[in-house]
Amino acid sequence: MTALLSIDGVTKRFGGVAALRAVSFELAEGEILGVIGPNGAGKTTLLNCISGVARPDAGSITFDGHEIGHQRPHRIARLGVGRTFQIVKPFASMTVRENAAVGALFGASRLPLAGAFAAADEVLELVGMADKASQPVVSLTIPDRKRLEVARALATRPRLLLLDEVMAGLNSVEVDEALDMVRAVHRSGVTIVLIEHVMRVIVGVCRRVVVLHFGEMLADGTPDEVLRDPRVIEAYLGEKYAKRLQEAERDG
Amino acid sequence: MQARLNGGRLRRLLLIVFGLAVVLVLLAPLTATDQADSLGLPQLVDRSQIRILTTVAMFVVMASGWNLVGGLTGYGSFGNVAFFGLGAYTCAVAVDVHRLHLPMGAGIALAPLVPALFAALVGLPLLRLRGHYFAIATLGTAVAVGEVVKNVDYLGGATGLFPPILHRADLLFLYLMVGAAMLAVIVSGLILRSRFGYGLIAIRENEEAASVIGVNTTAYKVGAFAVAAALTGLAGGIFAVWNSFINQDLGFSLDFNIQMILMAVLGGAGTLFGPVLGVIVLEFLLQNLAGRGDVAVYAQIGLGLLLAVTVIFVPRGIVDFFGGASRLSLAHLRRALRETGA
Repeated sequence: MTALLSIDGVTKRFGGVAALRAVSFELAEGEILGVIGPNGAGKTTLLNCISGVARPDAGSITFDGHEIGHQRPHRIARLGVGRTFQIVKPFASMTVRENAAVGALFGASRLPLAGAFAAADEVLELVGMADKASQPVVSLTIPDRKRLEVARALATRPRLLLLDEVMAGLNSVEVDEALDMVRAVHRSGVTIVLIEHVMRVIVGVCRRVVVLHFGEMLADGTPDEVLRDPRVIEAYLGEKYAKRLQEAERDG
Repeated sequence: MQARLNGGRLRRLLLIVFGLAVVLVLLAPLTATDQADSLGLPQLVDRSQIRILTTVAMFVVMASGWNLVGGLTGYGSFGNVAFFGLGAYTCAVAVDVHRLHLPMGAGIALAPLVPALFAALVGLPLLRLRGHYFAIATLGTAVAVGEVVKNVDYLGGATGLFPPILHRADLLFLYLMVGAAMLAVIVSGLILRSRFGYGLIAIRENEEAASVIGVNTTAYKVGAFAVAAALTGLAGGIFAVWNSFINQDLGFSLDFNIQMILMAVLGGAGTLFGPVLGVIVLEFLLQNLAGRGDVAVYAQIGLGLLLAVTVIFVPRGIVDFFGGASRLSLAHLRRALRETGA
C-alpha cells in the first residue's frame, strides 16, 4: 500500500538551530497519527513544513504522489491538506458561518458561493457549532475558536488534516467534547496528524505515535510502546527519573 | 462585510438613495445647457456646480479603487495617485496632436492599461511588505514615478502636456466621470460578492490562515492592486482630457493622494458605499470651506481632526451609523430609546 504522506529526511534549520533533523515517517490513508514531544521539539515546525508555511532545508515531503516540500501553501491546500493553528487565526470580522464558508470557497473544495455556505453548515454540524453559525467570531470562547479552526480547515475538504494542539487549554469536559469531534472527523474519512500535549488525547484516539525531541525522531510506535520507551521518558522527565523508573521496573 | 450582513435593508435603502442621486445628477445639468436656455427652462445648475459634480465622481472612482486595496485587502496604500498620474499621462500622450494623435475615446480606453500593468509589476515586490513599510514604499514609488515623468521630454517634461480643448463639453465629461464612478462601484460590488472578494478579506484578516486554506495570496493581492490601478487610471485619463492640461503636480498631486484615502476611511473602508459617502461628505466640506481665506487654512486642520475623530470613534466610517454595529449608530440609538421607553 502506498502512503498518503511520506516524510523523508526532512531537516529545517533556523540559523544555527536545527528545528527538525532528518525526520522520516510514512502515513497511510485513514490513520490518526499523534505527534508528541517536549516544548521546542519541532512539532509545529513539522506541520509548517507539511503545510508549506515553512520550507524544509533538506529532505522531501510527498503527499498523494506529489512532492510538496517546496510548494506554496495554497497549492498544498488545493491538493487536500488542511491545518489548524495552535494560536488560533480566525477571520475576525466574519461570522462563524462565513469563516467556514471561506474554507469551502478555497482549498480542495473550491465550491461556488452558494455551495460554500451549504458546505459550511454541514461542517459546523460535524464539529458541533451549528447553533453558533451566525455569531461573530469575537463572541466565541477559546474552545469554540479552536473548533472553528477545525471547521474552517475541514471545509476545504482535506484528505489530510493537521491539528496543532486543538485541545491545549481546554478543561476535561471540553477535552472529551473535542475528542468526540476528532473521532467524528476521522469517521468522515479524513486522515489526521495530531500534535498534542494532553496524553489522554493521544491515548484516546491515536493507534500510532511519533515522538520528537530537539528536532529528532525519538520513537515511532503504539502509544503504549512509546510511553514505555526509556528515551521518551528521559526526554520528558529527565535522565535521573528515567533511571529510577527503570530500576523500579527491574526490581518489580 | 459587516454592512452586508446586518444590513440587507440598509443596502436597499442606500441603493435607492444613490440611484436617485445619480438620476438627479444626470438630469439636473440638462437644464443648464444652452439648448435648455433657449427653450426657456430654468437654470438649476451652473457650470461651477457641474465641475464640482464631476470632481465628486472622479473621487468616487479613486476612493473606491483605493478601498479595494486599503479597505478590502488591508494594505494601506499611500501611492495610488501614481495610477491616476500614469492614466492621465497615457491618455494625454494618446490624444496629443504631436504624439499618437488618437481619438479621445481611444485615449480614455488606453488610460487604465498602463497603470494596471505598472501595478502588477511593482505590486509583486511591494505587496510583500506590510503596514508602515508598505505605506512608505508605495508613497516613495508614487513620488519617484512623478519625478521620472517630469524628466522625460516625450512626456512634456516640466511643462506638461496639453490635450486638445473641447468647448462646451462640461456635460460630456460629467457623464464620462459619473460612468466611471458607477463602473467603480459596480466592480467593487461584484468583487465583494465573489470568491475573489472573500479571499481578499481573508488576506486582510489573517494572511497566513488565508494561504493555508488555499488562497493564492500573491495573485490575489496583485490582482486587487491592478484592478484598483485600472480604475484610478481611468479617472486620470478622463481628467487629462477634461482639464486639457496635465503636468507632474496635477497628475501626481499629493493632495489627491491623501484625499482619496481620507474619503474612503471617513466613509467606511472595506464597505461598498462607504467610500462614496466619504467622497460626498468631504467634498461638500472642502467646497464650502475653500476660497474663504483664513477659514480654508483652518479647514485643513479641521480635516486632520476629523480623520482622527473618525478613526478613534467610528473606525468603520460614517457608513457604520446606518449599519447598527456601532454604539454611535442610528439603529443603536433607536434601540436604546425604545428600551428606555422614550
